[in-house]
Amino acid sequence: MFNEAVNLADIFRGGLPYCLLLTLPILIICSPGHASEFQVMSMIKFDVNGEYLGSRSSAISLEAKSLYTWSTGRHCVLARLLDISINDLNKIRQKAGGLIIMLPQDVQSLSNELKDQVLMMEQHMLTQSIPIPVHFAPFNRELDLIINDITSTAIDNEIRNKTALVQLLLSVNANGYHVTVDGQNNLANKNSKLPVIQGESFPNQFVLQHIDSTGEGNGLPLILITANLKTFGVINDYPLNADSAVLMALIEMFSKLHTTMGTIPKYRLGFLLSDSGLLLNFQGSKKWLEMDDNIALQNVEFVLCLDTITQSLINNQPNVLYMHVSKPPKEKTSISNYFKLLKSVAGHYSDNLTVEGVHKKINLADSKLSWEHERFCMKRYPAFTLSSAKSPGSPFRTTMFKNNESYIVEKLITSVKILAESLACYMYKIDPFSDIFKGHAVITEDNIRPYLGLKSILQNNDIRDGFEKYLKNVKIFYDKPDEREPDFMFYNSIDAKLSIYRVKPAIFDLFLTIAISSYLSAVYFVIQFFPRFYVLISTSTNSFIGRSIRTSPTALKRK
Amino acid sequence: MTLYHFGNCVALLLPYYFTYKYSGLSEYGAFWKCVQAGCIYIFTQLCKMLVLATFFYSDSAPNSGEFNFFAEILRCSVDVADLLGFALILSRIPGKGHSKLITAGLGWATAEVILSRGIMLWVGARGTEFSWIYIQKCLESNVLLVQHLTTATLIWLFTRHDLNKALKPLVSILLAVTIFKGVWLEGLLHILSIGPWSAIAVKALVAAIIGFCSLHIYAGLAQQIGI
Repeated sequence: MFNEAVNLADIFRGGLPYCLLLTLPILIICSPGHASEFQVMSMIKFDVNGEYLGSRSSAISLEAKSLYTWSTGRHCVLARLLDISINDLNKIRQKAGGLIIMLPQDVQSLSNELKDQVLMMEQHMLTQSIPIPVHFAPFNRELDLIINDITSTAIDNEIRNKTALVQLLLSVNANGYHVTVDGQNNLANKNSKLPVIQGESFPNQFVLQHIDSTGEGNGLPLILITANLKTFGVINDYPLNADSAVLMALIEMFSKLHTTMGTIPKYRLGFLLSDSGLLLNFQGSKKWLEMDDNIALQNVEFVLCLDTITQSLINNQPNVLYMHVSKPPKEKTSISNYFKLLKSVAGHYSDNLTVEGVHKKINLADSKLSWEHERFCMKRYPAFTLSSAKSPGSPFRTTMFKNNESYIVEKLITSVKILAESLACYMYKIDPFSDIFKGHAVITEDNIRPYLGLKSILQNNDIRDGFEKYLKNVKIFYDKPDEREPDFMFYNSIDAKLSIYRVKPAIFDLFLTIAISSYLSAVYFVIQFFPRFYVLISTSTNSFIGRSIRTSPTALKRK
Repeated sequence: MTLYHFGNCVALLLPYYFTYKYSGLSEYGAFWKCVQAGCIYIFTQLCKMLVLATFFYSDSAPNSGEFNFFAEILRCSVDVADLLGFALILSRIPGKGHSKLITAGLGWATAEVILSRGIMLWVGARGTEFSWIYIQKCLESNVLLVQHLTTATLIWLFTRHDLNKALKPLVSILLAVTIFKGVWLEGLLHILSIGPWSAIAVKALVAAIIGFCSLHIYAGLAQQIGI
């Protein structure tokens, strides 16, 4: 013993402490890895009109539990989107510590009931503030297995009522999962802004003088067409922006009419596209209406707002286009004339598309508007919204899920055709079946498909370039939130990384310690008894060799 | 709790200490000799790596999971250098009787366990993710300790001139079996697709059998020369 101590002291007298000083930090830095990692999308977080919406936090470091076994705020629920009901969500929202939802592999191929369920869920999540972190994971085989695992252990334990010992053993052997999401808490984006782009097409001066020499084009009646770009849904991704594609296609169509000598209408056409839809309470249009230097809103014939002109998910949607108005249009007004026109045009160009009027009064007590035309109606402009959604609460208006593009394009061609024909008929005061957009002006897939990828006015210059190419008087306005009482606020969010670690309960390590100590004591006794074993072998060897035995007095040990 | 698991894994390595403490090495003050043996282990491994990197090409990814028989044979043929390393330890490090062999085997095994398992245990077993592999590796190192002690004994027997002539081939065969264990044992385990736990048991059994044989031979010779 003494010798050993001296030797050990020798080591520590030398350079070892310095070596340790060097190596220890390196060892500590070596962080353990080996987790299953998944890319997840954080749920959106935004404020509008003083309401805090979406998931308000993002970091998770909790034990994973299934939908059926979680009980406290120290559990993070891991579930498939289709398994969660709205009731579950409400409970989780209040009591759990986090929620990770795995999206279905292919939403398009789900049955209509399931699609409805998904959409209802999505809408429900978007209309409330969720204090816990919520993340969405795309479908992943490995994650699917983990969810199966935590769900099945739960069921097994519940079904069988076993003795205390068996239950103890089960709990020792149970697999646990530890979930970590490294999302830092998102900060408010001080540069939040909502762009609104406007443009108008009016007959150019030269042509105008030939027609009726009014000088400025401002005197002509104005038809304003508006649409919204949806820049986010339940996750921070771009939903289908079919309305803006329709708007851009209409711009392209009518710019041709406005520049061709023989077909100049006696109307101005205004176009307005803003980055704020239903979720942001049409802040963009509000801002635009408050601006001074917008398109002169004089002699407004009507304002046509496009909202969800095509439902992006369900296949067997009833083929109805709803015209939403705030008060029933009187006979002989512009809206009623256009409504009749649209109805007959739709009947003519599409076999099964019908147009229906829906009347809903503006609820001034409600801070949130249902439709964009209400913004214009409140300023006493004749306005209406065309939408495939019947009620303002339709989940299609905010959904992230979309069908494949070809189906959508097909639908959109019909919509653009009907809108363009009806508007042209209205402007030229001609027979609704005259079919103006044919020949060189025919509406094809190529007019629409390039615009389906539109994301945001801020994203790149595509929209601005498109407006400037076809329209005049193009301006972009930005709505910035007020410093003290912001109307809206966005938050910086980075897609987070989800790590799932397979863990064992603490009691498992305790059992392991007991097992290891018994093993060690066994080894200890083996080593203690080794000399005797050695002597035994020596005797047998010697008897085998047939020699006289001279036993070693110390009987040194091996192993 | 994770550090606790690391502690559990390290506790499984305690037989190394037991061997040192209760085999009488501590009474001889053989600590430095063990460290020297470890240094020779490091030197041998470096030489092996040089040879492997220079003369052998490895196009098969080590993690591919499949057992490449030919590559394993090549790799094991380099392991002959291990025997030379053992011979070097036995010739250079002075020691008396049994303790000499234990010093060589223990020093070698300890250096191996620290160098090849240390980082893995520190990084892996301390992590949040649980895996049985760390416990398995630690148990396997216990088997390796027995195996290295056996190898040291066999080398010593091999270098003795006063070994019974009849036993010489047996010692050579045992040495070959030990060296090419990587081929035949791993290959067998792979072909039979034996699980990791049974694999450790099989390895322990094989190590015990070889150990017992060499102990038998050693005991005879030790009696003969009177140590």
